[in-house]
Amino acid sequence: MDAEQIIKSLTTKFPDVISDAKVDSDIRISAYSEAEKIVEVCKYLKEELQFGHLSAVTAIDQIQKNEIDVVYLIASYDHPVVLKLKARLPRDNPEIESIVPVYWNANWYERETYELFGVQFKNHPDLRNLVLPDELLGDWPLRKDYKGFPNRTAKNLV
Amino acid sequence: MDPLNEKPQENINEDQQLAGEDMDMENIIHNEIPGVITTTSQGITEFLKTTKIQDLINWGRKNSLWFMAQAMGCCGVEIIVTGMSPMDTDRFGIIPRNSPRHADVMIISGYVTKKYLPALKRLWDQMPAPKWIICMGDCSISGGPFYESYSTVQNIDKIFPVDVYIPGCPPRPEALIQGFLELQKKIAAKKDKGTAYMR
Amino acid sequence: MDTNVGPDEMIIHMGPQHVAQPGPFRLNVKLKGETVVDSEVELGFIHKGIEKILESKTYLQGIPIVDRICYLAALTNEEAFVGSVERLAGIEPTERSQYIRVIVEELSRIQSHLLGYGEYASFVGFVSMFMYPIAVREQILDLLEMTTGARITHSFLRFGGVRDDLPEGFREKAKEVFANVEKALQEWENMMETDLIYKKRTVGVGVLTADVAKDLGVAGPPLRATGVPFDIRKDEPYLVYNDLDFKVCTETAGDIFARIKVRFAEIRESMYIIEQALDQMPPGPLFNEETPYGKRTPIMRIPPGEVFYRVEDPRGEMGFYMVSDGSDKPYRVKIRGPVYPTMQALPPLIEGVQLADVVGIAGSMDACTSEADR
Repeated sequence: MDAEQIIKSLTTKFPDVISDAKVDSDIRISAYSEAEKIVEVCKYLKEELQFGHLSAVTAIDQIQKNEIDVVYLIASYDHPVVLKLKARLPRDNPEIESIVPVYWNANWYERETYELFGVQFKNHPDLRNLVLPDELLGDWPLRKDYKGFPNRTAKNLV
Repeated sequence: MDPLNEKPQENINEDQQLAGEDMDMENIIHNEIPGVITTTSQGITEFLKTTKIQDLINWGRKNSLWFMAQAMGCCGVEIIVTGMSPMDTDRFGIIPRNSPRHADVMIISGYVTKKYLPALKRLWDQMPAPKWIICMGDCSISGGPFYESYSTVQNIDKIFPVDVYIPGCPPRPEALIQGFLELQKKIAAKKDKGTAYMR
Repeated sequence: MDTNVGPDEMIIHMGPQHVAQPGPFRLNVKLKGETVVDSEVELGFIHKGIEKILESKTYLQGIPIVDRICYLAALTNEEAFVGSVERLAGIEPTERSQYIRVIVEELSRIQSHLLGYGEYASFVGFVSMFMYPIAVREQILDLLEMTTGARITHSFLRFGGVRDDLPEGFREKAKEVFANVEKALQEWENMMETDLIYKKRTVGVGVLTADVAKDLGVAGPPLRATGVPFDIRKDEPYLVYNDLDFKVCTETAGDIFARIKVRFAEIRESMYIIEQALDQMPPGPLFNEETPYGKRTPIMRIPPGEVFYRVEDPRGEMGFYMVSDGSDKPYRVKIRGPVYPTMQALPPLIEGVQLADVVGIAGSMDACTSEADR
């Protein structure tokens, strides 16, 4: 299965959901998805297109567009193509359905994305902070307008 | 506040000056048995610090510096190597221990995060005195490459009484051994912060 | 994890300071008798915020930072970072530098596996076994130090090449060291095959099947020990791995014993790769001087774009997802480390085993907390 076929299959199955689907290189494709349908898209990818390996879930803070992009990097054990699936969310209230029912290992990635960016994952089994201490929760440190970075408390700063 | 250095404010005579804490109790006993000087083990420790016997005690202490195996960052790997056969630190009496309750030296070997600081303080409290701290690597000395991070705690030396600083990112195992030797020199010279001397 | 305990249950907190841990993390284990009924991993004790720090550094300044993501595999971290910047900027490293990269990265893999084996051996109760791999690992570190000048954090790769050539006498020294490694491996394998107690503790313990491992997202030696030949070096060849002859080492049992056998086979394979690379290495420049970014250009503006570049770390699939907005600093960097899903898979893996086997299983997964926390 190569990149063109995957894109064709994806866009014919979800014509209204998938947009901006394009081939970046032989083994990389990227697409945007509607945030509401993300679970169905992921289910289709896993069951029909052999995308069985979720590499990572993360987010990008697009502060100029006032958006947060949630990025799903989905790879496969059977073919070398990696799909970069994105979903646009509003920056002031980012909410998206959790894909843990489809990909079990999305659990920690979503928790991390939640605590670092403030993206709420609906129906996540256990949405709480993973790497941050409790007092930092709510600051969303990886957003571009985070005030606590750089930290200037060290003495002898040059 | 160091409890060892606290002195009672009541009028005390020359003999009782050595006795340290619990002065009221000492007073009563002393008054009841005339001519007999009683003291506490704390008092004896304080007294010995003023004598030559302390040199002997320090000689023993400096030759059995057991450190707590606690890998916190890149330097943790070098700590592991230091404790193993290629470096053979046993010849200096430097032996890795797994439990803080067996250890004399805590090596802060990396960035201390806000989440880890309470655990580190508890580990320090669990270690029996006399105990010393070695700051290994730039991260614990000044923040190192992560000085501006949102999750690390800066200025560790204001939180813990650090005796030796070993710069490097990370320092080699040889540098860590040298740090231990410097600590031994400090203990021999009664300049270390691990023992509370009357100054 | 549910913190309510039943009549003969109790909760044990392993960590954050525990000898069977490569770095601080906390494993909360709920026990019924000596059997694990539930468990939970707590991370973040050495979370440094590397992703945020990289956003404030220029690309060249980022190299020493990514070294410290996982200090046991510094060179593969660098390869992932440098490789993704090269793909964004359209720089092709010269052929000789690609061979040198392969050599140092495989050396890094060998030393990581050796340390992992030593730690694991001490976790299954064989404490003096820790000393032997460390002694051999020192020789590998000597080779790395000859080349890069540092023991564990190297800052050796550059965009479009490497910092230095291999030193004189590297080949002879490497031959000598590899003979020692091979001898040591045979000794340990002999021990593992014949020792009854060791086999009792490892064969059939902590079994992962291929389907479960795929579902859990595990990569690297734990996945290959279940029989899945998933190796980025083969599936998505980078550098000159296409020109080199090597096989993906797999086992089928999926237990602790198989994982260690896979690691040993990979050490042998890495040495074979290095010997080939030393033979095939062409002469030539270390740097591609024709790119707009030379060796001494500290500031390089990279055209806007996105890239996801994966390499094979000693522990599995390592990837960098990098977004550039055209300035001299990356807009966003996501580090996809191999240990993160591996540690996430610990609770389902240790459910139902005895407490004494927990550290053995955790050790055989060869987790590196620093990389999971970042």
